Amino acid sequence: MAIERGEFPLPDVDDPLVGPFFAAAARGELAITRCAECDRLVWYPASCPVCGAEPIWVAVSGRATLFSWVTVRRPFLPAFADFVPFVTALVALEEDASVRLCTMVPEVDPSVLRADQAMRVVFRPLRFATVPDREVIVPMFVPVESSSNRPPH
Amino acid sequence: MVDTPDWGHAVELDDIAGAVSIVGIGETAFTKASGRTATEIGAEAAERAIADAGLIPDQIDGLTYSGAFAGFGPADFHAHFGTNHELWSSPWGGGMAWAGTAPYLAAKAIAAGDATHVLNVFPVAWATQRAEMTGGPGEVHAQQSLKQNLEVPFGWFPQPIYFATIMQRYMHEYGTTREQFGAVAVTLRDHANRTPGAVFHDKAMSIDDYLAAPMLADPLCLFDSCPISDGGGAYVVTSTERARDLRADPVVVLGVGEGYSATGTHWSQQRAFTSTPQVFAAPHAWRMAGITPADVDVLTCYDPFTVVSLMQLEDMGFCEKGDAGALAQSGALRFDSQQIPYNTHGGLLSHAYVLGIAHVIECVQQLRGSAGAQVAGCEVAAYGGYTGHMASTLVLGRDR
Ligand SMILES: [Zn+2]
Repeated sequence: MAIERGEFPLPDVDDPLVGPFFAAAARGELAITRCAECDRLVWYPASCPVCGAEPIWVAVSGRATLFSWVTVRRPFLPAFADFVPFVTALVALEEDASVRLCTMVPEVDPSVLRADQAMRVVFRPLRFATVPDREVIVPMFVPVESSSNRPPH
Repeated sequence: MVDTPDWGHAVELDDIAGAVSIVGIGETAFTKASGRTATEIGAEAAERAIADAGLIPDQIDGLTYSGAFAGFGPADFHAHFGTNHELWSSPWGGGMAWAGTAPYLAAKAIAAGDATHVLNVFPVAWATQRAEMTGGPGEVHAQQSLKQNLEVPFGWFPQPIYFATIMQRYMHEYGTTREQFGAVAVTLRDHANRTPGAVFHDKAMSIDDYLAAPMLADPLCLFDSCPISDGGGAYVVTSTERARDLRADPVVVLGVGEGYSATGTHWSQQRAFTSTPQVFAAPHAWRMAGITPADVDVLTCYDPFTVVSLMQLEDMGFCEKGDAGALAQSGALRFDSQQIPYNTHGGLLSHAYVLGIAHVIECVQQLRGSAGAQVAGCEVAAYGGYTGHMASTLVLGRDR
């Protein structure tokens, strides 16, 4: 039962459940699902655990705190072989800290990272050498004090 | 009713305290890639457990196994033993958290008259499969579309990354040091050195070895993480009344607990990020057994990573939240500590990554007095099973 989608591990931007997340990122927006009835953020995308209503996609500020992170030294998938070392992280959204996004922290020396520090969204193309000629714009997060908003090399 | 956190729940299990006992155990060799299939390994474990109970395969009329991982199911049982009798079965047994709840399923089947002798079996051949690139522990997660799209692209995959992230947050919340995580790894390695069947039986490890080990994903190093193994185990459950007529001294099932996290396998969203559903499972098991953690002479927990040991020790009530690192460093987890002898066979970290089935077998060995790192006067043993979103607690004791 291997994964057959040739672009793995790039996200499937045509996936009906999460496609809007990547469409928003391509526009420079961070979008999250919110319950259409009771307005709470519901993440991951699903019907509301409280009232059962369907979610809608809404733009959020892109401000967050660094909940936790790791510096990956060993590539566990071949696609990440030329990424290591890199920082993968969970950030907690300013709008609702119980919503955590999986993300990367690019262009930062991991030794300066501190739990709960303020972060902001940046949008970066994700490319894998194992998936030639394809890229997907995704939200990544950098420390607020970081002046770097340049695309990676 | 005590104040229960709302990020998960316990399953309301019926009281089966004392109703059934474990009467036979069987283990295979625990190895790196063996070239064997899980079905071959499962058959060998089953044979040994049935023989240990003094039974023959025709007398096994119930089977609990893992439906989630292809291995040794009812058809494999009949094919291997050349039998065709009626076999009650449930796919909700095997290893991981289910190694702790399978005796409950057996107790219910026995009480209902569906079975008399129930075999629980769990084999794994991931070391061989990984060498052949046909499977492994990460594959189950990679298949889920939300993980595939919202986690994997950001490098948040597989298990070593999940638990390195939990470890980082845990260190931030509780000030736990690398030396304290290292104390878990070193203690378990010493236990494995005393356990003949352990994969790492012949390899010693010092705290300096731990601190010098390569980082996989900071703060998680090689020795925080369990290896991949081939191997399997099985045990036979019957009524305690029947057990007293069989060969070995019965090991009585005193309590069972089962708990779940509300966020399922999406660990990134679990509200209590540095806790396990043992918060829900363990109190239920202690209540059923009529004991407290202080009564437990030996504890084994599903321990794929050092931080999972620390979290479960806390969540099962063996110390306050955040204190398990200091506990490990104090030596309290050693087999001869007379405090909380823990994973006395070496655990997943140093015995073998056979997903908890060997942990239950070690509890039985300790209660029989036949363990490698034997705890003197062991009367009560407990297993903490953990499968991410699910936890189980199984309390076992000597027959009075
Ligand atoms: Zn709602």
